[in-house]
Amino acid sequence: MNIIVPIKQVPDLVEELEIDASGVDLDRSSLKLKLNEFDDHALEEALILKEETGSTVTAIALEAEDVDKILFTAFAKGADKIIKVTGLENPSAHQAAQAMAEVIMGLSPDLVMTGVQAVDDRDGQIPVLLAHYLKIPHVSVVTSVKAEGGGVTVSKEYGGGLVAEFEAKLPLVVGVQAARQSPRYVPVAKVRQVMKSATIEEVAAGSTSATAGSSVKRFFKPEGGRGAEMLEGSAEEQASKIIQTLKEKGIIK
Amino acid sequence: MIETREIYRHFPFVLEIIFYVVAFSTIGFFIYGFYRKYQKYRKGREAGRFNNLAGRFLKAAAIMAKNSTVFKRDAYAGFAHWMIFWGFVVLFIGTVIVAFDYDFLRHLNLKLLQGNFYLGFSFVLDIFGVLFLVGLVMMMTRRAGKPAQLDYTRNDLAPGQYNRKGYATDDKIFLWLLFLIGLTGFFIEGIRIAADRPAFEVWSPVGWSLAGLSDMAGLTPHANSAHIYMWWFHAILVMFFIAYIPYSKAMHMLVDYANLMFKDDMAAKRLPRVSEERMKEGMGYKAVVDFTWKELLDFDACTKCGRCHQVCPARNAGTPLSPRDLILDLRTHANATIGAPEWFTQAFSPDKKQSGKLAGEIIQKDVLWSCTTCMACVEVCPVGIEHLTSIVNLRRSLVDQGAMETSLQDTLANIGEYGNSFGQSEKKRADWTKGLSFKVKDVRKEEAEYLWFVGDYASYDTRIQGLSRRVATVLQSAGIDFGILYEAEKNAGNDVRRVGEEGLYEMLVEDNMKALGKGKFKRIFTTDPHSYNTIKNEYPEYGGNYQIEHYTGLLLRLVKNGQLKFSKKLGYKVTYHDPCYLGRYNGEVDAPRQLLEAMGVELMDMPRCRENSFCCGAGGGRIWMDDSKMKERPSEIRIREALSLGGQVTHFIVACPKDYAMFSDAVKTSGNEGRMKVMDIIELAGEAMG
Repeated sequence: MNIIVPIKQVPDLVEELEIDASGVDLDRSSLKLKLNEFDDHALEEALILKEETGSTVTAIALEAEDVDKILFTAFAKGADKIIKVTGLENPSAHQAAQAMAEVIMGLSPDLVMTGVQAVDDRDGQIPVLLAHYLKIPHVSVVTSVKAEGGGVTVSKEYGGGLVAEFEAKLPLVVGVQAARQSPRYVPVAKVRQVMKSATIEEVAAGSTSATAGSSVKRFFKPEGGRGAEMLEGSAEEQASKIIQTLKEKGIIK
Repeated sequence: MIETREIYRHFPFVLEIIFYVVAFSTIGFFIYGFYRKYQKYRKGREAGRFNNLAGRFLKAAAIMAKNSTVFKRDAYAGFAHWMIFWGFVVLFIGTVIVAFDYDFLRHLNLKLLQGNFYLGFSFVLDIFGVLFLVGLVMMMTRRAGKPAQLDYTRNDLAPGQYNRKGYATDDKIFLWLLFLIGLTGFFIEGIRIAADRPAFEVWSPVGWSLAGLSDMAGLTPHANSAHIYMWWFHAILVMFFIAYIPYSKAMHMLVDYANLMFKDDMAAKRLPRVSEERMKEGMGYKAVVDFTWKELLDFDACTKCGRCHQVCPARNAGTPLSPRDLILDLRTHANATIGAPEWFTQAFSPDKKQSGKLAGEIIQKDVLWSCTTCMACVEVCPVGIEHLTSIVNLRRSLVDQGAMETSLQDTLANIGEYGNSFGQSEKKRADWTKGLSFKVKDVRKEEAEYLWFVGDYASYDTRIQGLSRRVATVLQSAGIDFGILYEAEKNAGNDVRRVGEEGLYEMLVEDNMKALGKGKFKRIFTTDPHSYNTIKNEYPEYGGNYQIEHYTGLLLRLVKNGQLKFSKKLGYKVTYHDPCYLGRYNGEVDAPRQLLEAMGVELMDMPRCRENSFCCGAGGGRIWMDDSKMKERPSEIRIREALSLGGQVTHFIVACPKDYAMFSDAVKTSGNEGRMKVMDIIELAGEAMG
């Protein structure tokens, strides 16, 4: 199987986040970036499949600051090829998906595995959008992908702890929620070694027609409430005070 | 009459020839055995131990002469071993003198063994022969008592999964063979003296007495024929023994001299680097030929004395690791693969066949991950085995394979990403200083006499941050000019290295050295014994030479020169826990004790203290791994030990942030909260300052 794993970096939430002067974006100059955790799981599941079936795994990312590091790390973990898509300036998620899909198309994929979402997503639709632009089927919120017959069996998580198994034909896009095992550790020395020896293939992005899908009106930190009132008295008294307050606020009549 | 004795007494010449043929074949067999071993060691990698050969030789000779490493903490075994050792050496020299006299000097018409020399010779040999036998009897008695340390039961396998009867057989053969050789030697002497009764033979007191016995038993009329039979019996035993040496535990007589001679005094304190070349193929040992010849020698050096098995915190906690069994398994594996023949070995049941990956299968990963790198095994080993080096080299291979538990993996990733094991922002490294009434100097910007290397736990752990503030306050009020590196400090890497993540370690060393290089300070102190060890012993290999001390040493100096005054006598009864990386690794056992004395507390040491301290279980990355499967955590065992001192000891004093965290927990989890108060020495210092 030819597995393509689109990966990207997201803001590291360990650091304090700041909003920039425009008020509609994060202050990207102070951000620390790291690999999207869900993409890490997508890569892990792809590498497990590689070990099970002898597939080839290609990690692919859009050009961005420090993106080489996550590509080299993917290579050190076992990806066979790493590709950087160049020439896009601050694309929206929809543009990114379109540009990525165009490059992936040229790689004739059997399976495209990517993170189901990312902390900086606005709509969490990357897997869906990729499937749309690639014109192939898609399953998301997946926790395992196993090769079976000519296709794959995927487990998809639903709310309430339900899991469904799907048989799917290839090619297919999978949005990975979690891999079967936690993403593997790769020794620092190995990454450093790969940085010296491996090469990142660069592919220029084509022109994109997609729009952003949505736009940001205001970016703000969670706001605190406007004060709290402690209710005292017996349970009945407290209950009647709650009802009274709700009426005063016009929430109930 | 000239005092002497006849060599090959009443031997027909043919018998003498036969003896030489047998003797030379035996020696050939002996040499072949060691040649096979030599070939095995040659398959190992270079170890770089050929510097200062004369010094090494003499140092090992001194240890051997005194049997000091055997005596250490076991006077009985030490004394018995000393007698056997010197008995054997003197009897061996005696035999060499006889051979030299008869086979060499005789042909020059010279003779040594006559007159007064002969009498002295007889006397000395008799005395040492007695020592030899007494030592052996002491050892037999000891074994008959079945002491726990000589029990070969494994921690990690069920009884049916292995068979170590070979080891027990070897133990018996070794002792009995030596004993019978000594005994028959005296019998020959006795019966020879009985035959002729030369008066000067009273100088062989044992032989003389046995001759008397022979008279009483009526054996003397048959003395001449009995002598020749006894002589041959003795000779056959000796020949068997010589042939047996290289294939059995008796090899320790020679191998262990070499092992002590080539021991690295910095073993475990400074781990071996991985060459850039090797880094390319993975850091760790993948096959037996990756071991250095010294490590292969280590495996053969083990006498199964069980001391490491007894002191190991991992073994005591019921984990699958026993340093003894690890070394023996590596010996078995080495002999099976690049081998030298071994007569008495262990066997495994078919389901426990020793095959597959060296790190992970032949040596189970749980065995390797159980080690706390406390160094107790290396410290206690009487024959200079460097267990820890092998463990870390095998762990490196597990890291290459990614064969580790998730919590450890996450911690390493955090250290790589943020420079601390807590996975917190680098920018928050100095947040602990916020509660102070003064600003701690930033040595990157301002000059200070001391740089305080704070370490991860003291910086980020909310339980420890208060202690760090206390250190800062005490030093401030003593007028000490100090500063910190703020967010430029990273985990020093001591435990990262001992986990086996050498690449990450090197990255941390580079980053810390860069930060230290920019700092304006004269010397370093640290509150963390782990950082202390690596900066002191390992950073120099990367070009980082700093003057570094532990804060207990600094505080003591301040007390001595009057900068720090303890106005209050505390009067507590306390016990003090020596941190492994301070006491055992670096010999710093006195400063904390003197400091406690200056505070007016009464110190009662636990049975295991100073260099023999018992690990809290946190080292070598264990603090980042799961300890819920242990029978009893090492920290809980230690609290039990402290409680055994009796009710009057109320405080358990530590001098290491990890110890504070571990023992504060252990007091609670072992249900002893309220009975023992865990305190850092700095808290007492603060109190004593009034």
